[in-house]
Order: sequence, then C-alpha cells, then structure tokens
Amino acid sequence: MEAAKNLIWLVLFLPVVGSLIQALIGGRVLKQLGPKKGKGLMGLLAVTPIAIAFGIGAYLTMQLSQAEPSSRHAVATLFSWIDFSSISIPFEVIIDPLSMTMVLIITGIGSLIHLYATGYMAEEKEYPRFFTYLNLFIAAMLILVLGNNLALMFIGWEGVGVCSYLLIGFWYKDVVNAKAANKAFIVNRIGDWGLTLGMFLLASFFLANIGKMQVAAGETRWLSYDVLLPNAVTLLQSNPGIATAIALLFFVGACGKSAQFPLYFWLPDAMAGPTPVSALIHAATMVTSGVVMLNRLHVLFELSPVASAVIAMVGAFTALFAAAIAFGQTDIKKVLAYSTVSQLGFMFIGCGAGGYWTGMFHVTTHAFFKALLFLGSGAVIYAMAHNQDMRNYGNLRKYLPITFATMFIGFLAIAGVPGLAGFFSKEAILGYALGNHHAQAGGYNLGVVAGWTGLVVAAMTACYMTRMTWLTFFGPERWRAIPEAAHHDHHEEHVEHHAHADHGPDEHGFFMTEDELHAQPHEHEHHHDLDASHAPKEVPPSMYVPLVVLAALSLFGGYLLHNNEMLEKWLYPTGLPVLTELEKHPHGLPLMALSIGAASLGLAIGLFMYWKGLPASEGWDLTKWAPWRRAAANQFGYDDAMVSSAVEGGDQIATALWKRVDVGIVDRIVNGLGGLANGVGRGLSWFQTGQVRGYALMMLAGVALLLGYVAFKMKARETEPMEHVEMTQEVARR
Amino acid sequence: MESSVPLGGYLAVGLMMFIVGVVGVVIRRNPIVIFMCIELMLNAVNLTLLAFAKYGPIVKGADPTQTAMAGQMMVIFVMAVAAAEVAVGLGIIMAIYRLRHTIDVDEMSVMRG
Amino acid sequence: MPEWVDGKTILFAMLAGLAGATAIGVVAFGNAVRSALCLVLNFFTLALLYFTLDAEMLGVTQVIVYTGAIMVLFLFVIMLLNLGSPAALEERPDYIKKALGFMFGGALFGVVASQVVRPFIETKQVFAPDNYGAPQGMGKALFTTYVWPFEMASILLVIGIVGSILLAKRRV
Repeated sequence: MEAAKNLIWLVLFLPVVGSLIQALIGGRVLKQLGPKKGKGLMGLLAVTPIAIAFGIGAYLTMQLSQAEPSSRHAVATLFSWIDFSSISIPFEVIIDPLSMTMVLIITGIGSLIHLYATGYMAEEKEYPRFFTYLNLFIAAMLILVLGNNLALMFIGWEGVGVCSYLLIGFWYKDVVNAKAANKAFIVNRIGDWGLTLGMFLLASFFLANIGKMQVAAGETRWLSYDVLLPNAVTLLQSNPGIATAIALLFFVGACGKSAQFPLYFWLPDAMAGPTPVSALIHAATMVTSGVVMLNRLHVLFELSPVASAVIAMVGAFTALFAAAIAFGQTDIKKVLAYSTVSQLGFMFIGCGAGGYWTGMFHVTTHAFFKALLFLGSGAVIYAMAHNQDMRNYGNLRKYLPITFATMFIGFLAIAGVPGLAGFFSKEAILGYALGNHHAQAGGYNLGVVAGWTGLVVAAMTACYMTRMTWLTFFGPERWRAIPEAAHHDHHEEHVEHHAHADHGPDEHGFFMTEDELHAQPHEHEHHHDLDASHAPKEVPPSMYVPLVVLAALSLFGGYLLHNNEMLEKWLYPTGLPVLTELEKHPHGLPLMALSIGAASLGLAIGLFMYWKGLPASEGWDLTKWAPWRRAAANQFGYDDAMVSSAVEGGDQIATALWKRVDVGIVDRIVNGLGGLANGVGRGLSWFQTGQVRGYALMMLAGVALLLGYVAFKMKARETEPMEHVEMTQEVARR
Repeated sequence: MESSVPLGGYLAVGLMMFIVGVVGVVIRRNPIVIFMCIELMLNAVNLTLLAFAKYGPIVKGADPTQTAMAGQMMVIFVMAVAAAEVAVGLGIIMAIYRLRHTIDVDEMSVMRG
Repeated sequence: MPEWVDGKTILFAMLAGLAGATAIGVVAFGNAVRSALCLVLNFFTLALLYFTLDAEMLGVTQVIVYTGAIMVLFLFVIMLLNLGSPAALEERPDYIKKALGFMFGGALFGVVASQVVRPFIETKQVFAPDNYGAPQGMGKALFTTYVWPFEMASILLVIGIVGSILLAKRRV
C-alpha cells in the first residue's frame, strides 16, 4: 500500500487539471473547431480525467483491500502547508476504506454524470464553463473526503459550497436561479458556522490538553485524524459535556451541507441548476458529505449519546417532513429533491443510532439510485421540451423505453423492494435504530422512536415514488390535452414569480429587472413549448448509457455490499472504539417482514391511487386539492416563514441598526467629532487674519506671557526652603 | 581682569534694541521698515552674544577661550543669515510691489483663514 | 563723582544712549529713508560698541556688511519703489495694535530685564583672553572647528543670491 499511495495525487489533481483545461482553452477550442466538434472534444476532455481518476481509485482500493484489515491506512503528504512550532498542518491525504469508498462514489458516479452531461448540455452555449465548475466540484469533493486533517476537510467543505453555488446559478441571468444559488450559499454558511465553531472548540480543547495526548515524539500535526482521533477517546471520555458540544456543533455543519431539518430548504431550490448538477451534487455526492464527516469523526459522536439522540431525531423528523412535502409536489425534480432530503434523514437515523457504516451504506446505494432517478428525470425533461410538471406527463414508457426501464429499477430500489439496493441499506439502518439504545437523551431511547418513524417514512417513500412513476410513465398522455386553465395558471405563476422578484435586491441594481431579463437572450431555452403535437423522443446514447450502468448498480449493488457484511467489514474492520456492543437487529421484532410490509403498503396505496393516472384531486385546479396536500406543496409554510423571517426580519434588523445605531449613534459621534473640529477650526481661523503684524503681535504676546510664567515659577521655586541643597553640601563635605 | 563697564549694561542696550525692534514690527506697516526692525533685533542679539563672549562663561567649568570664540562665530553666522534674508526678503518685496503696486502689509492678507 | 565713573563708562553710556535713540528713531520716523538713515547710525554705533568689547574683527565686519552692504540694499529698494515721499505709504492710525504692541513689548522688557539683565548688573569680571577678537584666532576657529557651519553658510548665501535674482528680475 505504501508503494502505491502517491498515486492518490493523480486522483486528486486530474479533476483540477481538467477544470483548468476547460477554463483556459475551452472557449478557444469552441471558437476554433466550431460548436459541434468543439463541444465533442471538450466533453471528452471533461469526462476523461474523472474516468482515469476512477480507474486509479479502483486500483488503489484493490491494493488497500489486499492489505491486512488493521493496516489499511496510509497517509501521503505533499507539502507542509501551515507550520508553526506548536502546530503543523501539512497538505496530506488519508487513504483508508472510508476515503476510498467515497473516492469511488465521487469519481465513478461523477464520470457517469459527466458523460450524461455531455449529452444533456449539448445545446448549451457556455459548455466549457459548465464543465469547469463540474470538474472543480469533483476536485473539491475529493479534498473533502481525502484530506487527513480538519483544515483540509474545511477547504473541501467550502470548495463544494462554492461549486454548488456556481452550478445552481449556472443560468445566472434568471433571477430565480441566482436567488436559489444565493439561498443555497447562505444557508450553507449557517452550517459552516457550526462546523467552524466545532473545529475551533475541538482544536482549542486538544491544544489545552496537549500534555495528555499520547503521540510520537516531535509530533505536532494535532489536527490530523491519525493523531487526533485515537486521543479523542481518552481525552473526551472524561469530558462528556465538551464531547457533546463538539459533536452538536459538527452536526450543525452536517445539517447545512446534508440538508437536515432546520437548514434543509436550500436543497429543493437548488434544483434550479441543470439536471446533471442536481444529480451529481444534490443527490449523489455533496449532500452526503455530512454523513461522511459523521463517519470520519465517529469517535466524537460515539462519546455523546445526547448528540447521537439529537442526530437520530433530526434525521427522523427530516425524513418524515420531507416525505410529506413530496406528496404535494408536481415538479418531477422537486419530488426527487424532497426524496433526497428524506433519504438523507435516513442516513442520519442510522448514524445517530451508532450504525455509522449503515449511513455510508445508504450513501452508497442512494448515490446509485438517486443519481439514476435524477438522470432519468433529466432524460424525461429533455424529452418533454424542458417541461418539468408531472401533470403534463403520462404514458412515457411508450416513447422512452430505456429511460423507463432504468428509472423503474431506480424506483423499485428507493421504494425498498427486496433484493434491490435501497432495501438492504434501509433495513440495516432501521435494524440499528430499533435494536440499540445509544441515542439516548434524558433516559429516553430516542433511537427507537427514530427507527419507527423511519419505518413510516419508508412506506411514504414507496407511496410518493409510485405516484411519480405512474404519473410519468403510465396513464393517458396528458400533454395531448393540457387544459387552458393550466397554461393560464402557469403563466400567472410565472408573472407572480417575477413580480415577487422585483421586490428583491434588483431595486438596487443587483439583479436585472424584468425588462432586462426579457431582453436577455435565453440560449438555454431555445426549445419549443410543450403542446399537444409534441412527440417525445428517446435520449442519445451518451445520456442513456449512464442510466443503464446506474440501473445495474441499483439492482445488484445493495446485495453485493450487504452480502457477507462486506461493506461493514470493509469500513470498520475492527469495530468501533467505544460502542463495542451494537445490535444489528432488534430482538423480538420481525424487521424484514416489517420493512417489506411498509414498502408493500406504500406501493399498494400508490398503485391504488394513481393506477388510472392523475386523480382530479391533484389536477391543475388547486382548489380541488386536499388541504394537507396544498400545505405540503407549500412546504407547510416553513420555507416561506424562514425566507420571510430571514429576509424581512434581517431587513428590519438591518434597518433598525442603520437608523438607530448607525445614523443615531455612530454617525452622530463621527459627525459630532467632525463638527467639533470644524467649529474649533472656524473659531481659530478668526486669528488667521492674514496680517503679518497681527501674527507678530500674537508671537510677542505669547513670548511675553510664557517668559513671564516661567519667571514667576522660578521665583516661586527660589522661595522654597533649600533643604536638599544643604543636604548635598553636607554630603559633599564628608 | 575687571572691566569698569558691567555686563548688565551691554545686556540692557541689547534688550532695549530688541524690544524696540519687536514693537516696531508690530506697529509699522511698511515692510521695509519691518525688515529694518528685524535687523535691529538680530543686531541686538549679536551685541548680547558678544557681551557674553567677553564676560566669560556663565556655565561653570566651560573653557573661556572656547566660549569667547563660540560667541563670535555665532555672530558671524547671524550676519551671513541676515544678509541672505535681506537679499531674499527685499526681492520678495519687489516682486509683490510689481504685482500689486502696493507694499502695505495690511493689504497682503491673501493667506487669511 | 562716583568711583565707577571713568572714561570707559562714559564712552559706553554715550554709545548706549546713541544706539537706543537711533533704534527708536528707526521705528518712530514715518519716512522710510529717515528710518534707514537711523538704522545706519545705529549699526555704526553698534560697531563702536563691539570695539569697546574688544571684538575688533567683528566691529569692522559690522561696518562693512551692515552699514556698507545691507543698508545700501535697503536704500536702493526704497529708491526703486519710490517710497521716499511721505504720500507713498501713509501710516494710518491703528491704536489697538499700537497699544497692545507697547503693552506686551513693555511686559517683555520687564520680564527679561528683571530675569536676565538684573543678575549681571554687577558682573564686571572678564574671562575672555585679551586678544580674543583678533582675526588670527577667528580665522583658525572658522576653518577648523566651525568649518561645516561655515560651508553651510556659504551654500545658504548662494541660494539667497539665486533666489533674490529670480524674485527680482523682470519677466521676459
């Protein structure tokens, strides 16, 4: 392993090189070769580095798996990045099962999605810019998972945040996209706040206890995992309060990046970006970084049952909440986005219950089937003239057979049908949640609560995924007869959206006004509108090949990873350091039957409701919708409340600060000082007559007064008793 | 060696000339007369310096020969500076007169604040 | 007749009185030419006072530099500007400045006289060597100990000459 470890730098830097190639020569190549050939070449140059990186990653993983389980660990150092006498932070990466698993997911799924994007974005004018960001994203994500210390992880953490911002706002000329990008960025900042505080607390705690750490002589890489984590057990065990505080702060960071409840609401809006971005970032890789961090720092969470309980409960609530919202969505990508949020909740249930590897297991299987579903939905959207409303779909299995077949596999996988990927990972999570009592707070075993909630959510998942699949691929071809009201409704919504946008920052020239927007050429929208005569066509091979590969992974991946406890033994060959006695299955509960039952129930209800296509109670007429579904469509008011409280509340706070503090106090002080100086100067300028004789007179007066004062003082001193002089004379006499 | 004229006498003459010069600068408006008053002040200082040069070091322990020479040297430099000052100052007065056709210092208040 | 009255003191008293009177004359005469002539007389008296202080070299220099060169310069300027006639620059009464000037001038005189002149009113001891004002000693000091200030003074004079030429010459 040691011999091959430096190959990891190729994995890390190939995407960087790819990104630079796209950024530096992309535009020129497109101009030289013409759009068609140029895009072909640049697409190839975009996919190749990621694919090679995947190949190298696979080779390294093979090497790693051949080593002894206890020695599957190598650290490669490139250069010394920050080096003080008391602490050094080298630029170093860690090669261990966790990081290599993530490398395989990132580069594997990433290269498939790159391949897909070459087809999906073929009409895009700014093709190289897209792949610049996409390659850069892969690089940032690799730094996040490969970095061997908290500082490097933070670089990756922020790097994926930036790339996510750039990609969500890829079509930045549209106010909606720009706002979605801003929202994602700002909400992620809240999470990063927690993460940084956690890092600072951890670092300061360890630096305060440096003497108690058992390290090799001369070791100063305090933030590196191989130094930090083994000592965390001994140091934090006697400080459960600090352990809980650190764990909760890190979890805040995870909440931001992995879209958990208080901070989830950026993820659905992030669907404003191109669909490959949604698949890559907001389903397969970036949102899983919270789970990866939980796995990387699992020691901290093992030591804190309270934090674990919080994680499990937040995960459970997020899963439930997002699944409920998914019922009210008509946009196919929004449904998938909420299902992503919901599935991420599952991962956190597993991690909270102590089954960290189950979180990673679900990350992996979820990466397979959610990438598949997103790419499939992208194919559907591509075929349906960029219309994303499921109410306009129907019977697409006739027109998109490959997309239908692959997406159906993905649907079965996420629904938890036995034998497919999602079933195994969900069952593993639920087994850990129901069978253990690690996630405890105040004597209550909240992990079990989270587990039962997860079971309910599993049924709901099956149900709303059935709704999506049946509305899209079965039933009548509804776009043949789109009601007039639908067009009208759609139009209204559009105008309302823009009108709303006008109240936003564009008044200050930050965004374009509506007129300017309409004046902008919309390169990415030169498709015709969806109308009754539309004939959907199957997507090109570059788009369905990734679908097929991902479908195969969704079919068999779960079984392969679950068989003989392969993933668990791979990730945690020696078990956990603190939680040594975890149960994998609850006693006295037929877990398998329960999870199959939940999935079947959800499927049955879904089939019963949507077998004949779109029910009237979910049609274009929103007034016929059930109240709860209308509320779900509106995210139960949460998003509006958050946005309005943040935006308007922030506006009010800022206005109050501006009017009271800034104008009232600061300005008054500053202006008062200025006015004082001005007044004094004005008063003194009366003396500045410009007449030389006046100045001379003043000098004379000054000299006379000063000398008089000095003389007066000297006279006063002369009359003082001269004792000290006599003393010195006496001293001199002796 | 004693002199029959006390040091205070010379100092009094110097002080008298100096004060007359100061008062003249304040009360006269003709810049040439003002210059003359400045010359008066400089010469008063020269006289004082020479008086101290002759009547010896006030500071105890100083070499009287060096003190005497230092006072005279200072007078020479004051003369040099005064010569330069008069040359430039009268040049300035000429320039101002050519520009404004008056040399009343009270009219020259462009630098008023 | 008191014992301190001898030839030297009488000479000094006369010169001192003359110097004071001519100094007052410089300020008091309204006509610039008269002021200038008073100043000439004053400088000449000062030169004589320097002789009584045994500073012969400086006394001669005083006559040449001040009475000769500088005063000629003054008179030239007065002539050039045609300030000889009283109407050229009529002094307007300015009582406040005059009063304040006299007041503070008197105050300064009082302060300095009481603090500086009074302690030395009885000092008659002479410390300087007999020939301290002779040119040999001064020349030696000027070119050894004081050579740097001397060179600086020469630079200053050159700058002064160039500056006054620039200022006084007519624009062509």
